[in-house]
Amino acid sequence: MELLDRYLQAVRKYLPLRRQDDIIAELRANMESQIEDRESELDRPLTQGELDDFLRKMGHPMVVASRYQPQQYLIGPTMFPMYLYVLRLSLLWAFIVCMVIAAVVTPLTEGTGNAVVAAVFRTPAILIQTAAWITLVFAAFEFARTRYPNLCPQIEGLNKNWNPSTLPPLEKDSLRHGKSRSFPQAVAEIIFSALFLGWLLLIPHYPFLLLGPGVVLLKTSPYQLAPVWWTFFGWMVALGIMQIVAKCIDLARGAWERPSTIQHIAFKVVGLIPTLVLLAAPGHIYVSLKDSAIDHAQAGKNLAEVNNAIHLGFSVICAIVVLQLAFDIGKLVTEAYRKRESAQ
Amino acid sequence: MTVAENTFENLRLELRRGCLTLAVLAQLKQEHYGYTLRKELAERGLEIDESTLYPLLRRLETQGLLASQWREEDKRNKRFYRLSSDGEQILDRLLDEWNNINASVSRILESPNTENEPNAEAK
Repeated sequence: MELLDRYLQAVRKYLPLRRQDDIIAELRANMESQIEDRESELDRPLTQGELDDFLRKMGHPMVVASRYQPQQYLIGPTMFPMYLYVLRLSLLWAFIVCMVIAAVVTPLTEGTGNAVVAAVFRTPAILIQTAAWITLVFAAFEFARTRYPNLCPQIEGLNKNWNPSTLPPLEKDSLRHGKSRSFPQAVAEIIFSALFLGWLLLIPHYPFLLLGPGVVLLKTSPYQLAPVWWTFFGWMVALGIMQIVAKCIDLARGAWERPSTIQHIAFKVVGLIPTLVLLAAPGHIYVSLKDSAIDHAQAGKNLAEVNNAIHLGFSVICAIVVLQLAFDIGKLVTEAYRKRESAQ
Repeated sequence: MTVAENTFENLRLELRRGCLTLAVLAQLKQEHYGYTLRKELAERGLEIDESTLYPLLRRLETQGLLASQWREEDKRNKRFYRLSSDGEQILDRLLDEWNNINASVSRILESPNTENEPNAEAK
């Protein structure tokens, strides 16, 4: 019976301390009775192999002992939906805060591109820490709730105070898929886009169309725009043309009612290019002096500050557009996943 | 194990879990220790693993449905279990529930198939 003793010793190691002796004594009595029964059936002692089989059938010591433990959860089924809701909400807010810090606060306080990149790269670690803390708090609450049920409030508040009339109104299909357009609306959009493009093309020749009376300042100011603005302007014109062409194609195909989400995202991606062109301007120079020999003493001091301020402004715009793009892509992926799941 | 087999196994275990508790409580109207209880249940067609039955007895005792005592029998100390007075009341209520469910499922299974079809009324 040495093997039985070894087996029981192994089971004991995984049992709750308080009940070890009692459970092992009971298990021993039951197992010995079973072995005796089997031996009297066979009219001989069990062989080593038969005893091995018997113990194997009983199960691994850890598994046998685990059955004597109360059912254990890190976070049980009652708490889990609430945990998941809080986790998702917290991660979303942590992400937003991280992005605001990276895109707005860091450029304003530290003002260097490296600091912004470092702030962005800190985000995953912050998200993991947030998730870990929330899991820890819920796990602690679950532990306290199961161990000391009388001391902890019961999770019935949600069900008790719930009122069906407080449910949010039905989401309109159009809200989920974008507003539908009528034919005149689609035509008007093309006309206005063409007018906008015409206005844009006229600006280099007639700057007052953009600046109004402020055009006088452009003439008297010691500053002039750097060449990078021409590249920016070229991309803006190209973007305007692409949008008009896409809208005309939609109209010709009879697909003007609902703008395609993919097309919308594609335009946002392409729309990033002019901003990136400005961000990548050589030396971050957006304005320069018309005549450095004459104007340097008077206006040269502020030139670097003006250029830095413009660069900072475009960094913030770029960060906001990237965030919007990430949100739109997330929505598109979720919608595609939902469609695929409901199709199956 | 295929997904279908796995699903079946999970559902089978779920179905068996409650039934085993009911059978154990019913069998313990008469006093038994673990091993003889297992033998009695097996003789009546309900096989149950040792590693399931013995912890189940402990849980039912913790819940106050069983009473137990250590006693010597055949020169060996054994823990004998018996239904407690609370356990008797719970068993009666569980049996009522079991009979109701059983009768309902039987009625559902015996009813003509057409009544179960979603468009039966329209036809």
